[in-house]
Amino acid sequence: MSAIVVNEFARMRHLHVVLLVAVLFAVVTGIGLYAAVFNPDFDRTSASSWNTLLMGMGSGFTLAAPLLLAVVASRLVDAEHQGGGWLMSATSGVTPGGLCRAKLLALGLLVAGATVLVSAAFAAVGLAVGIDAPWPAGRWLGLTACLLVVSLALLALHVVLAARVENQLVGIGLGLLGAVVALISTAVPTWIAHLTPWGYYALSAAAGYVDGQLAGFAPSYLNIGGLSAVAAAIFALFTRSFDRQEV
Amino acid sequence: MSFIVESSNLTKAYGGRTVVDGLDLRIPEGSVYGFLGPNGSGKSTTMKMLLSLIRPTGGEVEVLGQPMNRSTRRQLLGSIGSLIESPPGYAHLTGAENMRIVQRLLGLDDAQVDFAVKTVRMHGQMGKRVREYSLGMKQRLGIAMALARQPKLLILDEPTNGLDPAGIEEIRELLRRLADGGVTVMVSSHLLGEVDKTATVLGILSQGRMIFQGTRADLFSAATPDLLIDCSDPRRAQSMLARAHGARLEDTTVRLAGVDSDEATAGVVTGLVAEGIGVHGVRRDEQTLESVFMGLTAGGGL
Ligand SMILES: Nc1ncnc2c1ncn2[C@@H]1O[C@H](COP(=O)(O)OP(=O)(O)O)[C@@H](O)[C@H]1O
Ligand SMILES: [Mg+2]
Repeated sequence: MSAIVVNEFARMRHLHVVLLVAVLFAVVTGIGLYAAVFNPDFDRTSASSWNTLLMGMGSGFTLAAPLLLAVVASRLVDAEHQGGGWLMSATSGVTPGGLCRAKLLALGLLVAGATVLVSAAFAAVGLAVGIDAPWPAGRWLGLTACLLVVSLALLALHVVLAARVENQLVGIGLGLLGAVVALISTAVPTWIAHLTPWGYYALSAAAGYVDGQLAGFAPSYLNIGGLSAVAAAIFALFTRSFDRQEV
Repeated sequence: MSFIVESSNLTKAYGGRTVVDGLDLRIPEGSVYGFLGPNGSGKSTTMKMLLSLIRPTGGEVEVLGQPMNRSTRRQLLGSIGSLIESPPGYAHLTGAENMRIVQRLLGLDDAQVDFAVKTVRMHGQMGKRVREYSLGMKQRLGIAMALARQPKLLILDEPTNGLDPAGIEEIRELLRRLADGGVTVMVSSHLLGEVDKTATVLGILSQGRMIFQGTRADLFSAATPDLLIDCSDPRRAQSMLARAHGARLEDTTVRLAGVDSDEATAGVVTGLVAEGIGVHGVRRDEQTLESVFMGLTAGGGL
C-alpha cells in the first residue's frame, strides 16, 4: 500500500500539484485575512475579532477550494488516461480502484497539510495583533476539521469523476460551478446548503451574523459527519466497481 | 513438452458478438510464440485474458502451471512482463522517473532496473521526458518496464507497430536475445514478416478462431506449394492445363496449384509429353510464409 501512495507523490512531479496546493493555501489565506481584517467588527480588544478571523477562514475555502481541488484531482488522474497508466498498473496487479484510493490518500495528505497551515496562519495573525480575548480553541479546531472533511469529500468526488469521465473539462467545469454553489450556500436557508457537497463549507461556519450581530457558534458537526459518511460510502462503492472494471 | 501458457476453449464475447472463439493456446516454455492475425482478429483481447485483465466469457487459462484468474493474478503478474496495445509511460516524467515507479510498485532493486534499461538500449535516454521520446523509444521503455521484473514470460502486443525497418529489426534482435536468455516470449503482429524470422512457434488467428498453431515447418507442410513447369511450348501447355489445374503463365513458366502428390505431378508431365511438348523443368515454388499465411487467412473467411 505504502509503495502505491509514494508512487502518487512521484507522479505529481512536473504536474504542479504541490504548487497548486500551495496556491490554495495562499489564496485562502489572502482572501480570508483580507475579509477578516477589513471587517468593521475586527477589533482586537473584543472576542469578535476571533469571530471575524473564523469567518474569513471559511470564506477563503468557500471561494478558492472548489475549483483548486477539482484541478489537482483532475491533473493527477488525467496522467493515467494520458500515459496508459491504468493498464500499466493493472499488469502489475494494481487495480484502477486501488490507484484512485492511493490518489485520494496522497492528495488528501497535501490538502490536510495546507488546511492545518491555513488554520495556524490565521491563529498566528490573531495572536500577533494581540487580540485580548482568549483564543477559542474548540471552535477553531472544529472549523479546521470541518473544512478539511468537506475538502476531502470534494477531492473524492473529483477523483472518481476524473477517472470515470476522460474529458477533464467536465470536472473542472463542475469545480467552477461548485465555487458558485458554495458561495450561494452561505446566503440561503441551511436546508438548501445541505443539498450539495459545496454547501457544507457554509455549514462548517463557526461564526457569523445572527440578526445583524456577529456571533460565535459551533459548526454543524453532525451534518458534516453525515457528509463524510456518505462521501466515504460513495467513494468506496465507485472504486470497488473500478476494481471489477475491465481495462 | 511443457507449456508455460495453456488455455482451453478460451472465449470472449462482447454483447453477443464473439471476438475470441474457443482458443486452445499452447505456448511451449522457452519458445518465441508468434501470435498472428489481421487487425480486429482478437489478439489483444486474448492477451488481456491471459493476464486476467479482462474476464473470459468461457474457458480457462493456466499460466506457469497455475490457473490465472482474479484471485491469483496479483501473484502471477510478478513473473509476467507485458506490453498491451500502446506503450505506457507518463509523458510528464522522465524515463528514469517512469522506471522508478515500476521499481517501487514491484519492489525491484536498482540492478534489475539497470539491466532492463540496458537490454533495450535506453540507458542514454533516461534523463529525457517521455514526451520527447520517439515511438520507438516509447516502445523500448515499455518493454524495459515489462522486463525489469525479470519475467519468465513476456507478452508483447504488436511491439513493432509503427516502427521503421531499423526499429523493427532492433526489436526482433531483442526478442532473440531474450529467448536465448531463457525468457518465453509471446509476441503478436498483424504482419507476418515482423515475427516470421524470430518465432519458433506460430499461432494464427482469424476472426477470433485459431486457424493454425504449430512450428514453422508444420505450417509449410500444411500447405502445398505450387508446381512450376518449364517446357518447349508454355502457351499450349497452359491452355491444356487451365481447366484441370487452373494453370497460369508466368513469363515462360506454367504455374499449377493444388497438385499435391507425386503421382499427380507425374500425370501432368506425362500428359504434356504425350502432346509433344518437351518438359525440361519441374519444380515446387519457393514458398514464403507470407503466401501460406495469406492462403490460411483467406481460407478462414477473411
Ligand atoms: N471492450 C470492447 N467492447 C466491445 N468490443 C470490443 C472491445 N474490445 C475489443 N472489441 C472488439 O473485439 C475485436 C477484437 O479486438 P482486438 O482483440 O483488439 O483485436 P486485435 O488486437 O487482433 O486487433 C474487435 O472487433 C474489437 O472491435
Ligand atoms: Mg490489438
